[in-house]
Amino acid sequence: MMELQEYSYRFDELEVSTAIIEKFMGYEPGHAPEPIPQLIEEVFAVAHDYCDIKGGYVMQDDIRIDRSERTLRINNTYFEIKKIISNQLRKMDNIALFACTAGPRIGAYSKELMHEGDLVKGYIADVVGSEIVESAMDKIQDDLEQKMEARGLHITDRYSPGYCGWSVGEQHKLFSFFPNDFCGITLTDSSLMEPIKSVSGVIGIGPNVRRKGYVCNMCDMVNCIYREKRHTKRADRC
Amino acid sequence: MILNMEALLKRIAHCVEFGKINEASPYPPDMKGQPGADELTRQAIDKGADPDDVLKKGLVVGMEKIGIKFRENKVFVPQVLMSAKAMSIAMEHLKPFFQSGDVQRKGVFVIGTVAGDLHDIGKNLVSMMVEGSGYEVVDLGTDVSSQKFIDAVKGHPGCFVGLSALLTTTMVNMEKIVNDIKTALPDTKILIGGAPVSEEFKEKISADFYSPDPQGAVDYLNSVVA
Repeated sequence: MMELQEYSYRFDELEVSTAIIEKFMGYEPGHAPEPIPQLIEEVFAVAHDYCDIKGGYVMQDDIRIDRSERTLRINNTYFEIKKIISNQLRKMDNIALFACTAGPRIGAYSKELMHEGDLVKGYIADVVGSEIVESAMDKIQDDLEQKMEARGLHITDRYSPGYCGWSVGEQHKLFSFFPNDFCGITLTDSSLMEPIKSVSGVIGIGPNVRRKGYVCNMCDMVNCIYREKRHTKRADRC
Repeated sequence: MILNMEALLKRIAHCVEFGKINEASPYPPDMKGQPGADELTRQAIDKGADPDDVLKKGLVVGMEKIGIKFRENKVFVPQVLMSAKAMSIAMEHLKPFFQSGDVQRKGVFVIGTVAGDLHDIGKNLVSMMVEGSGYEVVDLGTDVSSQKFIDAVKGHPGCFVGLSALLTTTMVNMEKIVNDIKTALPDTKILIGGAPVSEEFKEKISADFYSPDPQGAVDYLNSVVA
């Protein structure tokens, strides 16, 4: 089985709010001091023009998790996903490999603002870009979940190279499962995605897996600037 | 309102701490219409303040206060950036004194995000905090190779080096870069930071200092140059 699904969104179709951005930055929603809420609104006002939001996934069913080796095999390709992710995916029967991007312009807009000395707005644009791609990916994951539930299956949370010990160097292997120029995302020699506001990874599928909606408590990066700043769809969003 | 010099320097520190850039800036709201770090620094210089005092008793004090609040999660990145902006505007008035040698920087800090990693917000925060604490900062940007760090250290003898990484897998590049720098220039003090980095990792790769927050880096630098 190899199913390919592609999506595109407008900014106003996403659940990106001032409260979510405030929370991402560390504030209690509604309690960020001025001028932060105003600057968030200013970025929102132009976000539509700076976004080219695309995403999708490819499903594969010739897979195997080796928990002792902490590896994932998809067809003839092996991924060293390490302990945390192999534990979370151990009960899956199928897998969706996903990628999603907010496009190149929102990242460039952020850099431009910072270069001009508008540090706070540039940072906010960076956070908005991150939230756009995560929110779009939430929608794609929700759609995948609905489709799988209709088949009597469930899905896991999503896991990405670069986190939980999974080497970002395995991005090239992950992208080998996508069609060429999938969502307009390319990889650098050091395996980072361009546009920078992009995500990729895998989601487990099966009758005995579960989407918990919150993965930070599994990760050992205790000082991560993103830790506990955002919840995915299943958890309480602000 | 006429302030004596001590009060003026305290006011400059207050403006930096709360991100009051200049009189035109409406933020923070309770300081609307009041002079900011820009005007007060100019005023202090014009009144004959020792530029070194303006730096160390004004700007540095304000940046240290915001750094401690950030460490304690009392403020977040945007407020640190507002303070950094106020500090950098005020610093423009001190530039001629840095150039003439009337004000001495505490040292030079070369910083970059390691090869393979394009994340720069953490690196920028450290960079601003260190600059606001009286150091000259040489920011090499992101995706920085060993050779670029080594060249920068050779260009600034005695400088400190800061390495940043966000990803578990790019932090591995820190080990190579630390090793390359230490091999070429063994006396170089190297600080590391970033989400996946830890004290244990610092020990493993033989870096000199790890801090989970920018103020920790400043405190370390100050302890070495003291």
